Amino acid sequence: MQFGIFTVGDVTTDPTNGTTPNDTERVRSMLTIARHADEAGLDVFATGEHHNPPFVPSSPTTMLGYLAGVTKNITLSTSTTLITTNDPVKIAEDYAMLQVISDGRMDLMMGRGNTGPVYPWFGKDIREGINLAVENYALLRRLWTEDVVDWEGRFRTPLQGFTSTPRPLDGVPPFVWHGSIRSPEIAEQAAYYGDGFFHNNIFWPMSHTRQMVRYYRQRYEHHGHGPADTAIVGLGGQVFMRRNSQDAVREFRPYFDEAPVYGHGPSLEDFSAQTPLTVGSPQQVIDRYGKMREDVGHYQRQLFLMDHAGLPLKTVLEQIDILAEDVVPVLRREAEAARPAHVPSDPPSHAQRVAAARAEGRIAEQVVAAADHWTGRTAEDDVDAADAVTR
Amino acid sequence: MTKEHAVTARRIVALSAGLSRPSSTRMLAERLGQAAVAALGDQGVDAELEVVELRDVAHPVVDAMLTGFATGELADVIEKVTNADAVVAVTPVFTASYAGLFKSFVDVLDKDALAGTPVLLGATGGTARHSLALDHALRPLFAYLRADVATTAVFAATDDWAASGHATGGEAALGERITRAGRELARTVAAREPRGEADDPFASAPSFESLLGG
Repeated sequence: MQFGIFTVGDVTTDPTNGTTPNDTERVRSMLTIARHADEAGLDVFATGEHHNPPFVPSSPTTMLGYLAGVTKNITLSTSTTLITTNDPVKIAEDYAMLQVISDGRMDLMMGRGNTGPVYPWFGKDIREGINLAVENYALLRRLWTEDVVDWEGRFRTPLQGFTSTPRPLDGVPPFVWHGSIRSPEIAEQAAYYGDGFFHNNIFWPMSHTRQMVRYYRQRYEHHGHGPADTAIVGLGGQVFMRRNSQDAVREFRPYFDEAPVYGHGPSLEDFSAQTPLTVGSPQQVIDRYGKMREDVGHYQRQLFLMDHAGLPLKTVLEQIDILAEDVVPVLRREAEAARPAHVPSDPPSHAQRVAAARAEGRIAEQVVAAADHWTGRTAEDDVDAADAVTR
Repeated sequence: MTKEHAVTARRIVALSAGLSRPSSTRMLAERLGQAAVAALGDQGVDAELEVVELRDVAHPVVDAMLTGFATGELADVIEKVTNADAVVAVTPVFTASYAGLFKSFVDVLDKDALAGTPVLLGATGGTARHSLALDHALRPLFAYLRADVATTAVFAATDDWAASGHATGGEAALGERITRAGRELARTVAAREPRGEADDPFASAPSFESLLGG
């Protein structure tokens, strides 16, 4: 089972001292956090994608590309990549590039984005969110699996004779998760393709998460990818730990009370009872998260939100250490001991996907482009080339 | 209670947004609900009434507005309202409209929660001069929610509670208006099949083939 962290990349004032990092400081803190998570031995670092303040991670593959170069083992991922407002062609290119650069040490999670105003900034409409996710992802898959794509749809200009480069590493596209909080359509999409399903989980009662995951598992089996209990599931989580639980509560409360999303709402105690938020000792976190599989079945990835609400960088790094040293080894051991042999322990790695594709005879030799049909020396040449292909 | 009874008894939920205790708003909600149950009984239709005071879930309503999800007792109330065969909705009139708590509760309901549900409206206030709040505030709100709202809505002013049970000066007494409103709601409810158990929220989820085709 994989354990890691995911970040929203929010710029939030530290309520205990009134200081606010600027965008540069916040981006750098995210890089430090990711490197620290790698050194501490966590399995996954995932960044969100946002295009409005107070969030800084607008360009995930730039960040993850750098991290691929300075980290050793950690899997780099997203939480989420906006399948609605990004051009699927650019997603295909950017993440294939990241896959090559990281030598397959990456995957990505599709999400729709829930900020209405962002859609029109990219020429889209939030009311078409589901349809955008369906059409764009169908195209993205073709761009990764077919060398030359002719395509026409509702939301983007048609493609004729298009080849997305670089071609995926070893001819096998990255593993994809689909994240959704309450849309059964997205659980259905993940199940249809046999992709992973991730439930953010952190702002929601477990009863809700359980329902969504159960639906995804049923549909995964329905679509013929294997028994429901072998579907690939990930969950979010949120914790704050100190050796003594009272210290954790005392230190975290001001951040909770002022936090974006739920601040000034329910009490820390109520929210902890209603959602997976756990503020206390490492043992309390172990007890709570060790039980998650009772609700959602054996799952493959658990990500924690650790660096939000204005928590200082130093504190976040301490939290990562506590997680990696005191919590993850126990949770991993317990999960492994409880897991039936036929259930995968991890989401499929690049090497496993390549081996599976070879076994099924799905990998052709990587196409080497023999000629350039496109690049002209002048704009007029380009027009001629375009005419030649579309004629 | 036999299983047959459990399946066919109509469930009427009476909501009161009254803030005080005891509350005349709750009293009106209860009496409207009882009138509907009695009128259904006259037609041989079994019905159960549950009165819910929104005051008891006031804090969770605000929490739900901030967090985006309802929990615990509030989640139960929302489920009951969503799956009710009929809803009686009664609010005090504050500052020319429904009480803020009343609207906040409606705001945390799903927009389709009351679609097609028979609803009986009621309001309370100091004087009958507030009574049009029923028609200029509550009725449009429930029209937006696509509820099936009874033509008669009942307003109870302070005077009404003290007045005699009979019509005076051409105006029907509160008790008579309640009975008439209860009968109206009962007619709508009796004409329908019982709602039965809650729908599976995933039952209507589209297959991916249809999503791709659409």
